[in-house]
Amino acid sequence: MSGQELPGTERRDDQGPVLRKGVGIPTSGWFDPRGRALGGFAFAVNRVTGLGLVAYLYLHLAVLSMLLRGGSAWSGFLRLATSWLFLSLDVLLIFGILYHGLNGIRVALVGSGIVADRQKALWWALGVIGTLALAFSAIHIYGSR
Amino acid sequence: MTRSAPRASRDAPHVLIVGGGGTGGALAHDLTLRGVRITLVERGEFTSGTTGRHHGLLHSGARYAVSDRESAIECIEENAILRSICPGSFEENDGLFVAITDEDMDYYDDFVEGCKACGIPIEELAPQEALRMEPLLNPGLKAAVRVPDATMDAMRMPLRFFATAKHRGATLYNFMEVLDLVIDGGAVTGATVRDLVTGSEGDLHADLVVNATGPWSEKIARMAGVDVPISPSPGVMLALRGRLCNMVINRMHRSGDGDIVVPQRGLSVVGTSSWTVEDPDELDVPEDHVARMREEGSKLIPAIAQAVSRAAWSAARPLIGAKDADSGRELSRTFKTIDHVEDGVEGFVTITGGKATTLRGMAELCGDVICRKLGIDRPCSTRSVTTLPHTAFYAETERRLA
Amino acid sequence: MSAADPLPTTRRFRVYRYKRGDPGWRFDPFEVPVGPRTTVLDALRWIQLHRDRTLALRHSCFHASCGTCGMQVNGREALACVTLADPLGSTITVEPLANIPVLTDLVVDMGQVFARFPDEIGTVRMSEKPSRASPPDGIDTYERFEDCIECGLCLSACPVSATSDAYVGPAALAAAQRLLEEPRGVDPERILDWAGDPAGAWRCHVAFECTEACPSNVRPAERIMALRGALAAGRRTVATVTPG
Repeated sequence: MSGQELPGTERRDDQGPVLRKGVGIPTSGWFDPRGRALGGFAFAVNRVTGLGLVAYLYLHLAVLSMLLRGGSAWSGFLRLATSWLFLSLDVLLIFGILYHGLNGIRVALVGSGIVADRQKALWWALGVIGTLALAFSAIHIYGSR
Repeated sequence: MTRSAPRASRDAPHVLIVGGGGTGGALAHDLTLRGVRITLVERGEFTSGTTGRHHGLLHSGARYAVSDRESAIECIEENAILRSICPGSFEENDGLFVAITDEDMDYYDDFVEGCKACGIPIEELAPQEALRMEPLLNPGLKAAVRVPDATMDAMRMPLRFFATAKHRGATLYNFMEVLDLVIDGGAVTGATVRDLVTGSEGDLHADLVVNATGPWSEKIARMAGVDVPISPSPGVMLALRGRLCNMVINRMHRSGDGDIVVPQRGLSVVGTSSWTVEDPDELDVPEDHVARMREEGSKLIPAIAQAVSRAAWSAARPLIGAKDADSGRELSRTFKTIDHVEDGVEGFVTITGGKATTLRGMAELCGDVICRKLGIDRPCSTRSVTTLPHTAFYAETERRLA
Repeated sequence: MSAADPLPTTRRFRVYRYKRGDPGWRFDPFEVPVGPRTTVLDALRWIQLHRDRTLALRHSCFHASCGTCGMQVNGREALACVTLADPLGSTITVEPLANIPVLTDLVVDMGQVFARFPDEIGTVRMSEKPSRASPPDGIDTYERFEDCIECGLCLSACPVSATSDAYVGPAALAAAQRLLEEPRGVDPERILDWAGDPAGAWRCHVAFECTEACPSNVRPAERIMALRGALAAGRRTVATVTPG
């Protein structure tokens, strides 16, 4: 630059702080529910259910591995598995599968440009289908006791 | 752009420009092309004072064709120059002057004659032709005249001058407030400034200091103990949602409140009113002025009466003239360069008045005065240098100059 | 005092403060008189004029056309000039935009925003309204400025940009889609190459927060989706595309 520089102003070129949304944990900005609209919630819940399903996969493998330890361990697990709390976790699992699956259909339809401007309507429509499917599943799960 | 213009050498004269509005930016551009070293300071963001707040009209000059031919001729000349040196910074849709009442029609012949005398190309239109171009116009219009008005981006067009000056080596500081002027032996030799980004304070020294602070120029001039005859004269503007017209729609009459509708992106901006204030920082937005914008604007385009408001705001024009004028409309709109050597102060020049349309022309004349004072014999070349796009202002490198 | 009395009430503003060279940032509290028409920008200017001259913020047009006064108001992206303070509660928190480096106080470094855009970014477009208008001789179609005002609100609201600076973000992709819609001499293939980069259109996670935040009706999310449609139709694979 050919003009005159004021001493100290070179600090303008330093790296400044970057504000990030989030819940205090680095890279949690995607999760921050404050000020989010429907699409933002839909995305956050999709990611949470996705992480939940991955965790469930490992839990499932751990449970199945009980079979290797003989029949008594498995019977003990079955007693636990028919408790109210455990069945409620099953309902939660069904919710995760339904949400992630149905929202996946929504994201595919919207994200490929097929129905680019119908994301909210799709969310509600698939939400109704998902809620009915979840209610049906819950009746069967709790009825199995 | 021309690549032959030399960069300022280290021992070239150094000018400090106070004020980062359209005037300061155009002057920085003008002087860097003449080989002057430039530092420019602005207390806020560039164009945050009056420049960015104006309604965004590139004047054809027709508004002044009857009452102020000097202004009208300036406008039509600069209108053509700006379109050629700032391509892409205008909605080039022309404008209409529309006569609604019999009184407006009384003005018609004077208007047409004035435009012709000032060299403003016009096309006289029958009401049906005007309505075909602009279907939402008042269907009761009596006549219309097409003029080469345009919508400009009130921030991005001036920013091109900053961008070009910056890439030619000018040092431009936003968020740098002038606390005082440095005076040495009856001459202004610099300014004491505070950097609002880093908190640093200090003096910037220059061979010449230019006061380009528009309606604030009286405040800055007082720091040098001199007076400038400026009246901050605010006007109210109302932005409505919806693009109600594509051409700039003007009322065909001498001058008055709410007599122009400027389309801009998805908005329609109605302007303006006029009064004078003491302090350009303390601008209110009087409710009755806002209501008058809507009422007068709806005479041009009836849909304005029901349009949803997006914003209402005030901007202070820097008008030259006696301070006791109350409405501001009697004051001249042409600009003025004041060499304060007349007031016994060396090294200090004020440039003020004018309007966005004439920013380049103002800078040219002020640049001539400054170069004469500094003993620089190089003519203005801004008429033919295409300015960089506004995006170049934010680019770190000079790749866009290639 | 009657209930209809328009006298201003006092609101508490918590304003983010930071100067380059400071070890950290802080919130400064200010009590500001607020009337029914006072915008957040009016309130911040009042603070500048009457309480703290060193407060730095950007503004220019005062009517949502320049895009300079974007900031977070109570955690939501907004243009301060068209955001009324009155409905915002008794304490109003004002912070700079997220995901863009802070220069000082409420000012972010817009160079970092512009660096994301494709080089050919357009400024004018065909005007769509009113459709039954026929332009005068010498004008083929009415033209007007692009909707995008380069304010950075979408970048701040985007949950993907919140976790990755590599993603070019909504505004730049929406500008690319505008170039496909109206190329004006720009080569669409080049724009598709640019947008098909892994840091481009495919990085979006379809949260639509950009469209919610946009103050200028650009609908960046819908445009990103349309861009993906164009990329998919061209049977491009992201792996073969060089960074833009």
